[in-house]
Amino acid sequence: MNYFSDSLAAAFGLIASFDQALYQIVLTSVGISLIAAIIAAALAIPAGIVMALNQFAGKQFLQSILNTLMAMPTVVIGLLLYGLFSRLGPLGHLELLYTPTAIIIAESILIFPIMMNLAIAAVTSADPRLVPTLISLGAKPKNLSIQVAKQTRFIMLAAVITGFGRAIGEVGAAMMLGGNIEGYTRTMTTAIALETSKGEFEMGLALGLLLLIIAFVINFLLSWLQRVKP
Amino acid sequence: MTNAYQLSDIQVYRQQKCILDIPELEIQHNQCIALLGDNGAGKSTLLDLLAFLHRPEQGSIKLNGDVVNRSLSVAQRRCIGYVSQQPFLLSGTITDNIRLALKLQGVEPKQYDKLITQALDQVSLTPLADQTASTLSGGQLKRAAIARAIAHQPSVLLLDEPFSHLDQSHIKQLENIIEQLAQQSSKTIIFSTHDRLQGAALADTTINLVHGTVTKSPLINLFHGQLNGHVFDTGHLQIHTTNQQPHAKHIAIDPDEIIISPKVLDSSMRNHFRGRLIAITEEATTIRLTVDCGERFHALISPESLNSLNLKLGDMIYLSFKSTAVSVF
Repeated sequence: MNYFSDSLAAAFGLIASFDQALYQIVLTSVGISLIAAIIAAALAIPAGIVMALNQFAGKQFLQSILNTLMAMPTVVIGLLLYGLFSRLGPLGHLELLYTPTAIIIAESILIFPIMMNLAIAAVTSADPRLVPTLISLGAKPKNLSIQVAKQTRFIMLAAVITGFGRAIGEVGAAMMLGGNIEGYTRTMTTAIALETSKGEFEMGLALGLLLLIIAFVINFLLSWLQRVKP
Repeated sequence: MTNAYQLSDIQVYRQQKCILDIPELEIQHNQCIALLGDNGAGKSTLLDLLAFLHRPEQGSIKLNGDVVNRSLSVAQRRCIGYVSQQPFLLSGTITDNIRLALKLQGVEPKQYDKLITQALDQVSLTPLADQTASTLSGGQLKRAAIARAIAHQPSVLLLDEPFSHLDQSHIKQLENIIEQLAQQSSKTIIFSTHDRLQGAALADTTINLVHGTVTKSPLINLFHGQLNGHVFDTGHLQIHTTNQQPHAKHIAIDPDEIIISPKVLDSSMRNHFRGRLIAITEEATTIRLTVDCGERFHALISPESLNSLNLKLGDMIYLSFKSTAVSVF
């Protein structure tokens, strides 16, 4: 029989039989990425709105830095955090290396510039009458940002989903900082790399299929939000 | 009694060009004021200043006698209702929009229902209270924006080109709403329009803007050009005037001062032009004639004069006016 088709059949079998090891990895991966997305969103969206609404010295420079960070290789983030979190590093005493927290921090840093840029784009691409209308209705600076976020909430949610999608597909930093510890820091991407190198192709394929399903759901949500956004 | 607004030494620049220059302007309380001028005259810029959406590069604006600092106080903000030229309704229904406006103005929640009902009633939009912006026509959207602006009962209502992009029936409806609002005590309404006759008909008084400056001229028969001595050259016509202002670039002629005749008049008047009658329109109790003499002139005559002169479209006629009828600025 064909190696690939046999492995594919076995992968479907693992998914259909609700293999505990498989779904444990999926849950770990989703949990870490979700927390990273929430943390990054909590910081990036307000920062993006404030940056978009205000003019200040160095704004262009900050935008250039954000654009650069968006293209930053994940292994570089992993490398820098490894240096900080390793036993001899300045944050070694926190004992974060090889913990889910380390992966969450790395993924949050990874998706922060993406979300912030999307939040900036959401405000700048909104109807140009939005902000003057809110100001004319009496919105003060402190609640202007909140109202802008409310009015662009679907695009902001799309930014969060995009960030989540980027986090769940990340492998470099998760491998370096998580250590791929079974049942603890083993995520879908690190598990695919490990299982494939071990020759357990069907496990890798099953995880790959589930990752594809998650990517499909994310894309479906994004296109739905595109349709319903006001 | 203090004025609603007092502007002093105002200058607004865009791309290093002065687009609004008002040394002094007072706007009294309880008046309906039309802001008249062509496109680009500075009407929207002035309304934005009055709404404190933008600040001038120079000068100060007093609201109800008080200089407004960097940010408006809650009481000052609540004095003003503003509707832009192309109003933007936020997500949700008309009621949601009005409720948000009341919330942002710091109105007590227990008053929301009463004020929303009142505002909708004033603009005759009660049946559409639960409709969203996307389902409204242009006229309904403008009325919804007015309801949102007046819900917190401001003493000053600013309307930027409220009649633009509307058909005649919606214009009439809006005119009635503005008239009704103007009749309310302690309400100052300032609206901009490029239709001078409509503005003059609706308002108690007018503010005339030309190229960012306020002028006392009625802005009808407005021409741009160069003044050489006592003769103003529009590029097509040479018009005699008694005024001499070294840097004047505009003139305006009161349409009531223009005499229409089938033949050239033998008189002391210095300005006589022959032109083709291209439009005859009714304006309230008078007739407006539009005559093309190289520049287009508007003259107002009575219906009786129209009959006695037996004028038809296309007739070649003469128009005459004194040099003292020409305002130079």
